[in-house]
Amino acid sequence: MAASPATLPRRGAPWLPDPIRRAGRVLAIPLGSVVFAFFVGGLIVAASGDNPFAAYQGLVCGGFGTFCTGGQIPALQISNTIVYVIPLIMAGVAVALPFRAGLFNIGAEGQFLVGAIACTTIGVKFSGLPAPLLLPLVLVGGMVAGALWAGVAGVLKATIGAHEVVTTIMLNYVAQWLVRFLIVGGPLQLPGGFSVSSPIGSGAQLATILPHDNQLIFGLPSSVYRIHTGLFIALAAAAVYAFLLWRTSLGYEIRAAGQSQRAARYAGVSVRRTIIVTMLIAGAFSGLAGAVQIAGVDHNLTDKYFSDSTGFDAIAVALLGLGSAVGIVLAAILFGALHAGGSVMQSDAGISGSLVQVLQALILFSIAANFLSTIWLRLPRIGHQQPAGQAPAMGTEGAPETGEKGGAGEP
Amino acid sequence: MTVVSEIFHLLLTADLWQATLAASVLLLLPALGGVISERSGVVNIAMEGMMLTGAFFGVVADLAWHNPWAATAVAILAGGAMALIHAVVSIRFRADQIVSGIAINIFAAGLTVFLVNRIYGLQNVGHVSQSELLPNIDIPLLGAIPFVGRVLFQQNVVVYAALILLVLVQLILFRTRLGLRIRAVGEHPQAADTAGINVYLIRYGAVITSGLLCGLAGAFLAIGVSNTFVPNMTDGRGYIALAAMIFGKWTPMGAFVACLIFGLGEAIYANNSTIEVSPYVLSMLPYILVLLVLTGVVGRSIPPAADGIPYVPGTE
Repeated sequence: MAASPATLPRRGAPWLPDPIRRAGRVLAIPLGSVVFAFFVGGLIVAASGDNPFAAYQGLVCGGFGTFCTGGQIPALQISNTIVYVIPLIMAGVAVALPFRAGLFNIGAEGQFLVGAIACTTIGVKFSGLPAPLLLPLVLVGGMVAGALWAGVAGVLKATIGAHEVVTTIMLNYVAQWLVRFLIVGGPLQLPGGFSVSSPIGSGAQLATILPHDNQLIFGLPSSVYRIHTGLFIALAAAAVYAFLLWRTSLGYEIRAAGQSQRAARYAGVSVRRTIIVTMLIAGAFSGLAGAVQIAGVDHNLTDKYFSDSTGFDAIAVALLGLGSAVGIVLAAILFGALHAGGSVMQSDAGISGSLVQVLQALILFSIAANFLSTIWLRLPRIGHQQPAGQAPAMGTEGAPETGEKGGAGEP
Repeated sequence: MTVVSEIFHLLLTADLWQATLAASVLLLLPALGGVISERSGVVNIAMEGMMLTGAFFGVVADLAWHNPWAATAVAILAGGAMALIHAVVSIRFRADQIVSGIAINIFAAGLTVFLVNRIYGLQNVGHVSQSELLPNIDIPLLGAIPFVGRVLFQQNVVVYAALILLVLVQLILFRTRLGLRIRAVGEHPQAADTAGINVYLIRYGAVITSGLLCGLAGAFLAIGVSNTFVPNMTDGRGYIALAAMIFGKWTPMGAFVACLIFGLGEAIYANNSTIEVSPYVLSMLPYILVLLVLTGVVGRSIPPAADGIPYVPGTE
């Protein structure tokens, strides 16, 4: 792209095939937001007297196992990243689905926690059951718990119009304190332990993908790779989400309610029912994430869950993924890599892992405010160009011709 | 002694009510901020982050300058600076105000820990000495009144300030032209604009004011109630304040009543020896109460009409 803006044809690069140009337009906002966040984050690191390139090198190493200087094993870093990615995909769906119905589910965190609680409770109480029975039981238990938790917000919204943002925030905190209550002196506390629950039975545990023994893989015993079969559950969840949204009548109703409640009503959609069902399904996805996290990674409920942030990260995942299943998976990979990278950045570059939160907040600001397109709109008009954001941009394949006319018409 | 009779006895002690008032003020300041911001039509769920930022910079300034007053000023400005980000993003860029609020809270949590590590290393921030904390002031004569004097006039300086601010905000919102303008902008910005009110200016002012109040609350928390900064030390107070604001139906006095209820719960728990309830169950109560309020059990709570809707001039 050596061409300067002045010589660029309207709405970019007609020499590229249409699918690529369309993909480019769709990706411009999320990619731009990420670039913006890393740029501003770099400025913050530089302003505090550290080297931003060292910080980002640590992040990339920790996230993807490349550009490492500390002798990290790439396979282990990727495995760690995927462990973070798994719950993010499911919780991301739990935020994205209500978005489609015009609902803002800030409560993915609370739903995640009650899912984890349900999984732990069932997994501990029925620890003797065989895996083919117990594993589905804990996962479904997590889904039901999450669905009920979100259902409270859904029912309140549908029946008396209580704003779901407020109710889900409150439910998040109730769930958080519920975790503490249960494991600190409460009914789930490990006898003789503090701030941890008893472990779930082996039948409730999700298998790791690599054999759990001392066989060496990339020079490390395979048991250090925590990547687990929850990955397939997460990918299935994303697929189910896409199918539900675009291939079922419920998905149509959800999208209709999200576009215009009045129009949806005229089309015969029961908006109240759709709101409640949407929240129930969303909660089930998030509850499943919590259950999978217990069943696949931790195997017991610990104080770590009190300060867990999966459900909040999920908001960024859903927004950055533009609410599409593929987008959610890609965004989850980004945030999973950031989380996994944070610890390597801290140990190798000596820069606090909380920079990851700062970056995440910057991405949220940027994608919500759409800084880049606003700035782009403010740029002086170059030649006969129309501002990118105002053109009938999306899906105008015949753009070069019609566009040329439109552009020429501009003073 | 049974639980009921102990609580009854506690309710008769001045110390309990003094503690209640102090705990309430910690919630009242951000709640007032929330009321002002949302009355102008900008949803603010970022009180938590603004308060946390205030707490951090207050401690940094106090450790550096050994002056609680200057430190409080820094904390207030830091809260205001965070609010400015929220204002620019949600007013100028018309972003989703809830997303912006979440981003502020995450940003504050990340930035404060990042800076703690950068400035003080990985261990701890260090403690502000007793003489450099925001002082308790016994008001002469009034402080000597039995019971009432202990509750109202032997308090931290911030408590007095907060009570004055409470009255001020209530009066300004409902008894002045400025208040009418703020409410007009929050209910029907198009009409307000037509009447010659600068919608953007009012909203910027309201959001930034909410940040200043949260910053003050942060200072009270870090160098009044406590004497150091701990990551995430606000511990959900900004959200309880949000709850108080809704509970109080978006009015300062209503929010204050809610804060007193939450503060009383906290004080009873802290001062009793017989209640065998887990503290964590008690911590859930404010949130459960708000859910009950929202179900309509305790009366409806309806936000300002234009709350959360960015204003675009010339639209219906």
